[in-house]
Amino acid sequence: MKYFSLQLYVAVFLLLLSSNLFAQQPITISVFNEATTIPFTTFLNTPMHPGLQIGTEFEGKMKNHFRIYPAVSVGYLFHRNLFQGLYANAEFGVDYKTGAGINIKTKIGLGYLHTFATQQEFQFNGTSYENKGDRGNARIMPSLTIGLGYDLHKNDPQSTEIFFLYQSWIEYPYSPGFIPLMSHTNVHLGTKFYPIK
Amino acid sequence: MYKKLEITIMLVVLALMISCEQDLTFPESYYDCNELVNSPNHPKEDEYSNLISEIVGSGVPGMMLTIHNNQNGYWSGAQGFADLSSGIRLSPCNITRVGSTVKTFTAVTILMLQEEGLLDLDDQITDYLSNNQIKGLENAKESTIKQLLLHSSGIYNYIQSLKFQTASLNDLTKSWGPDELLEQARGKDAYFAPGTDVLYSNTGYVLLGMIIEKVTGKPFYEVFEEKLFIPYDLTFTQFAATDPVPDGIIRGYVDLYSNLNLINATYYSGWDYYTADGGLISNAYDLNKFMTNLFQGDILSQESLKEMMTWVAPKDGYGDGFQTFYGMGIFRIETDFGTAYMHSGDAIGYFASMAYFPKQDVTITWAVNGNYGKVDEFTQSKAAMEKIYGTVLGE
Repeated sequence: MKYFSLQLYVAVFLLLLSSNLFAQQPITISVFNEATTIPFTTFLNTPMHPGLQIGTEFEGKMKNHFRIYPAVSVGYLFHRNLFQGLYANAEFGVDYKTGAGINIKTKIGLGYLHTFATQQEFQFNGTSYENKGDRGNARIMPSLTIGLGYDLHKNDPQSTEIFFLYQSWIEYPYSPGFIPLMSHTNVHLGTKFYPIK
Repeated sequence: MYKKLEITIMLVVLALMISCEQDLTFPESYYDCNELVNSPNHPKEDEYSNLISEIVGSGVPGMMLTIHNNQNGYWSGAQGFADLSSGIRLSPCNITRVGSTVKTFTAVTILMLQEEGLLDLDDQITDYLSNNQIKGLENAKESTIKQLLLHSSGIYNYIQSLKFQTASLNDLTKSWGPDELLEQARGKDAYFAPGTDVLYSNTGYVLLGMIIEKVTGKPFYEVFEEKLFIPYDLTFTQFAATDPVPDGIIRGYVDLYSNLNLINATYYSGWDYYTADGGLISNAYDLNKFMTNLFQGDILSQESLKEMMTWVAPKDGYGDGFQTFYGMGIFRIETDFGTAYMHSGDAIGYFASMAYFPKQDVTITWAVNGNYGKVDEFTQSKAAMEKIYGTVLGE
């Protein structure tokens, strides 16, 4: 069941990728390091817990230096010795575009995360434990992101952008009756590009 | 280009998906222990066995229990599994982690050092610890050794730090040294002025371990060995610092998400395997021998034992638990079966508890290889303890 669920996610993920939905829009892709930490108290944490995120940004509105836009993404993260997760996330972003190609970026988001153990699991069947995984854990993941981007061609509205993001997010629920929620951060390095101009 | 990107991403995701690790499996001989930890033909053997069976059957991987009374000597039993992946049954002579029960050993060692004239409980801790060691620990400059022992120093408990809790979850195999743990408490407000109340603080016991080292010139766990493990024949007992996962230690499991879905936490480092507030490896039998010797034997002089049992009630009460009073590395609780002197301890994946009932001269100790989430309800809640005490001490 565990792998069936994962495969379902991957199928949806690939469907999104291959869809024409993205044909005229930018693709954002980033690698990130996830950590359980209190936001803004730490930056680059070790050991590395790698993640990969891919998504797109919709056109939104541009006024003065501000660009306001919705964005969606899917991603995978692997927290060593503890869990792996797949998620889908919707965000609302506000970029402040300076004249020098540098963009100050903020986003708030809400996503769905499904986590699975990275280790062998033992499930209690009412009388004893058996070697069996569960169906994983359903979570919501509200997030707040800040960061910087740099347009490689500042006068081109479809310029490729390199960005760095600090995303703080909450995993909820975490362990009901024990630990209500868990605080995480993802530090992203990524790019936004237009595959078809 | 688009197809290539698609294929690359698919391969990366699939590679990561299959990264679920299987537990190491061991042959039965890995957990072999043949030492006798039982007096044969105990009259209540069936009752005790049924108790363990009931607790294990509620969702605990394995449980070992030892009872001592003066009429029948020691009885030890175990049920469930030492290792779920390998399918190895638990034996009462297996070794396990017993967490904070070490605080009783730490306190007894300090009292022994006082008996030897090497320190005085009323000494300021600054007599033994440098400014650098206590830097940023509010109340440390004003606290005495006695206040550390009684949890009445008010010094912040590093385990309460959210930053520490998330950091330990982030790096589950990190080895935390004493300085790193103290760092988590530096700059934090003390709970109260020294000597005005009591509140459990692991930080105080980290400092006590450092005081033992200062006074003796040896690692504190070597002092435990010399003064307690060897003289009192605690052959199953050792400290984690030199060998965090010794051969034969039973696997520990955590119910992290409160759904009785366990993962193996044996190789998680814990945070107190190198400090005198945790890190003890033992079993229910050895803990029972230690407690029985402490309260019926000659580990401490009567004067020291009396001083150890200087009871202080917390001003905030004791919540829904037993009525509780703080002593030095020991608690006094009031149960339906009378007073008990006790201490419990968690490690990641493990729990142990030891209690001595002076009225009945009975010592009850147990250890389990599962904790957190729902498992705690069966092994360390007030209801679970009442059930165990009731089975042993009830009519």
